[in-house]
Amino acid sequence: MKLQLKLAFYNTLTKVVIITIMAGLILVSINRISVHHIQQRLLHKKSKLISNLSSMEINDLLTQQGTFTDYNLLKEEYIILKRGPAHLIKPKQYFRQGNRTIEGSDEEYQILIAEFTYKGKNYLLELGETTSTLGQLEHTISMYTFFILLASIILTSVTDLAFTGFLLAPFYKIIDQKLNKVNDPISFNYEGIKTTTEDFRILDQSISSLMKKMADMFSREKEFIANVSHELLTPITILSTRLENLLNDEKLSAAGETKIFACLKTLTRLKSIINSLLLISKVENNQYDKLHTISVKEVVDEVYEEMEDRLVTMDLKFTIDLQEDHAFKGNRYLFHTLLMNIVNNAIKYNRHSGSVSINGNHANGQFMLTVRDSGQGMLLNQVKNAFQRFEKFQSKKEDSYGLGLSIAQSIASFHHLELDIQSEKGKGTQVNIIFPK
Amino acid sequence: MKILIVEDEKNLALEMTEFFRKEGYSIENAWKKSSAEDKIAENTYDFILLDLGLPGGDGFELLHQLKKLKGREDAVIILTARGDVEDRIKGLEAGADDYLPKPFSLTELLARMHAIIRRKHNLKMNEVNVHGFILDIRNHEVSFNQQRLSLTAKEFEIFNYLVLNKNRVISRINLTEHVWGDILEINADSNYVDVHVKNLRKKLSVFAPNEWFETVRSIGYRINVGG
Repeated sequence: MKLQLKLAFYNTLTKVVIITIMAGLILVSINRISVHHIQQRLLHKKSKLISNLSSMEINDLLTQQGTFTDYNLLKEEYIILKRGPAHLIKPKQYFRQGNRTIEGSDEEYQILIAEFTYKGKNYLLELGETTSTLGQLEHTISMYTFFILLASIILTSVTDLAFTGFLLAPFYKIIDQKLNKVNDPISFNYEGIKTTTEDFRILDQSISSLMKKMADMFSREKEFIANVSHELLTPITILSTRLENLLNDEKLSAAGETKIFACLKTLTRLKSIINSLLLISKVENNQYDKLHTISVKEVVDEVYEEMEDRLVTMDLKFTIDLQEDHAFKGNRYLFHTLLMNIVNNAIKYNRHSGSVSINGNHANGQFMLTVRDSGQGMLLNQVKNAFQRFEKFQSKKEDSYGLGLSIAQSIASFHHLELDIQSEKGKGTQVNIIFPK
Repeated sequence: MKILIVEDEKNLALEMTEFFRKEGYSIENAWKKSSAEDKIAENTYDFILLDLGLPGGDGFELLHQLKKLKGREDAVIILTARGDVEDRIKGLEAGADDYLPKPFSLTELLARMHAIIRRKHNLKMNEVNVHGFILDIRNHEVSFNQQRLSLTAKEFEIFNYLVLNKNRVISRINLTEHVWGDILEINADSNYVDVHVKNLRKKLSVFAPNEWFETVRSIGYRINVGG
């Protein structure tokens, strides 16, 4: 979920909770305040009634004993007066909530019950005031609250979304331009993204300084590679030329000659390993351009031509099935090397009179080039380690350094190609080169 | 034949000097850019073997200076540890005749020099006689008593390289590198070359005995030419 949506969602949720709690509190307190007010009014009425009492009035009220003695037109209030108990030690006075039916209409009342003595006689007074208006008020408030809640949710969700969008725009811009679209630190754009938010500015600066460090490391690595090339390859040249000169000596014994050739062979091996490692480093250090438009078919044909004699030597049946060509931007020399390495493996680890086939086809919008051989195949754990440098389980030959597939792998990732190896021990190996969409 | 070796690594320069002196060439050395400039200005050479990374400047600058001089036909071979494809193209575009990445073998360098000589001087040198077999280097053909042998391109290249380095043992790995080029470890397997040599010998033996085409133990091959 995007940060913007999360923030908007969180804001809306907290608002809903706060408004709901507030509405609940308001409802409860309104209820309490109203009840309190009613009780105060009833007490006031009671004292007013008692102070204004006359014997006539009492008799008038008592004649209608058992019924609702007096009430106003809307039945909002009523008075009942009864004779009280004969002996009144301490007059009782209390409130209660209850239902009363006055002329067939049942309503809820807040009721004050009070005992008093008038001219030596005890009376029981009941004063009631309806609370149904209170219920209506509560209902109305609830309705209002609900509508306010709904409106505020909609309104604030929209504004929150818009505001967080505005607020986070520099953040997304940083992510997009400084992280997503950056392929290598060399071509990084150090210009800051405009923002008034301090945190984003810090983020932007941190990414920039990190990239600067990486770019420094990249260029240092480049320098290192150049140094290694020179400092290692030059002494090898000195050694090999010196050994070659030794071979010119006519007094050299056959054993000496053999040893010198063995030394030269070792030097060739050393040279080959250094060159392979340098190639991998240079590829990973982005020292090659990708300016060529490469036709896969052309490169496949070239590789076939170069490998033809090896195929003949091993008596291998070779088939190329490239119904459609695929063109992509890349480095032709590197792609050629990649394919040479894979096809070379397919030949080298094949059986005599076996087969090698190269197929290309489009599937799901992606082009896939498959090199399949009928060779020795590999076990599952060997396949997993196939791209490891110096891994040479397939071969016990001393002429393999286990760098061929590492080279292939680094060239493939340089071109955003996916290499997929499927192999079955004793049946053969299939290498898929999957091109990006 | 006069050669100028522009190489700051003295050990290497001296080994090259020794090798080419034995081949009968006359050698001069320059250890840095300025002395190379002086020598080039004063003398003409058949070959200038040029290292790119020199004290006092880049070998490319030297090449540009040489190309500005009029009437010069000095052949230039760039020898460098900078093995980039881009450098190779840059060197050839700047007018170098060939480009050999370090480490190289002296026999390979010699073969490249022969190829340049043949290209430059369109002479009879294009035909070489080895025990009655005539190598027509220009057309990549071999004949015996006017009869053409049908050799593959690789068989011809192997024959030619061994003839160029006659009386010298050429290891299989050296031969492989020459014929197939240096494509990393792909060519570490030198068994393929044996097959080609076997076929080549078979084709030669149809016309004449070829005991002069020698297999030297497990090392490699040698073509012996008397004298």
